[in-house]
Amino acid sequence: MTPAAPPTEGLERIYAQALRLYPARFREAYGAAMRQTLRDALRDRSLSRRTLIPLVLRDLVTSLAKEHLAMLRDTFLRPALLFNAMVLAAISTVLALALYTIPQQVLRQGANDPQIQLAGDLAARLEQGVAPADAVPAGSVDIARSLSPFVIAYDDQGRPLASQAQLDGKTPVPPIGVFNYVRQHGEERISWQPVLGREHGVRIAAVVQRVNGPQPGFVLAGRNMREVEAREQQVEQMAGLAWIAMLGLIFVGTAAFGWTTRQKPA
Amino acid sequence: MVTGTAPAAPLSPAVFAILLSLAEGEKHGYLIMKDARAPQGGGLRLGPGTLYGSLERMMRDGLVEESGISDDERRRYYRLTSQGHSVLGAELERLDAAVSSARSLGLLVHGGRS
Repeated sequence: MTPAAPPTEGLERIYAQALRLYPARFREAYGAAMRQTLRDALRDRSLSRRTLIPLVLRDLVTSLAKEHLAMLRDTFLRPALLFNAMVLAAISTVLALALYTIPQQVLRQGANDPQIQLAGDLAARLEQGVAPADAVPAGSVDIARSLSPFVIAYDDQGRPLASQAQLDGKTPVPPIGVFNYVRQHGEERISWQPVLGREHGVRIAAVVQRVNGPQPGFVLAGRNMREVEAREQQVEQMAGLAWIAMLGLIFVGTAAFGWTTRQKPA
Repeated sequence: MVTGTAPAAPLSPAVFAILLSLAEGEKHGYLIMKDARAPQGGGLRLGPGTLYGSLERMMRDGLVEESGISDDERRRYYRLTSQGHSVLGAELERLDAAVSSARSLGLLVHGGRS
């Protein structure tokens, strides 16, 4: 045994422990050779310990970082793996958009259900010659607060004739473009935020129908969308959570697949 | 089997020092480290982690290969491939051109280091 053997063995033991910090594949491939290289260096009397030990320590720090980064790159940044993950992420994004859009559209369309009938009935009564004040039911719906459906009759220029509802004490009037469209097409279904109710954030789901006959005009049946919008928000949150969950699963699955199919030591 | 692509010049100091050391013939890890540390080998202080990490990437790039012989089962011997020789030659030419340029500018006296 050489005189330098005891300290050499101690340093080798410490170095062997430090080798455990390297990625398993690298350690299994080169750990024994690295220990042998250190052993050779320790036995080389031309290389002082004062030079060798800082050199090995610095090398440990830099090569550990480098090998772990290389391991991560080789394991997870393989083009095929990334491509599959991107495709799955794109599919999950489309699915999440569908999860949001389909119920949102169903809710939006459903928001018009009573108004369709209300507008049709009122238009029919006006066309029969019933006066707007008689045809429009009595009562005053505060659009900003109530979820009750309401109807409003307008003349051919879009001026209110009779209204069941008020917003800030006034009868809301849709944009003139809506009346022009209805004049040509007979009916329009809109979601609309009246200027009057903007400060309340009121949106109205409305059906506007043409009134034909001797006194042409328009009828509007609407209702506050507050509850529908709250449900839409719930759908949006659920779709968002589903999207994040799907992306999480893709990430975990990709990482697990990358890990199980990583390059093994030769 | 060579599956990688040769690195584009300039080479990293570690890769250059390893190629230069192995140009003399097959060597194991510590001999390469020792050559690299010598002034004529680049004066580079290579540690075992950097050495074997570099050797692994150089094997993947087809620059070096294990010779398969060993005087000890823990010592691994490496040698240059023909591609490794080419890459080393190209790097030396690049450096030679730089040294010639430096000499023509009067930045190097005679052959430089004596």
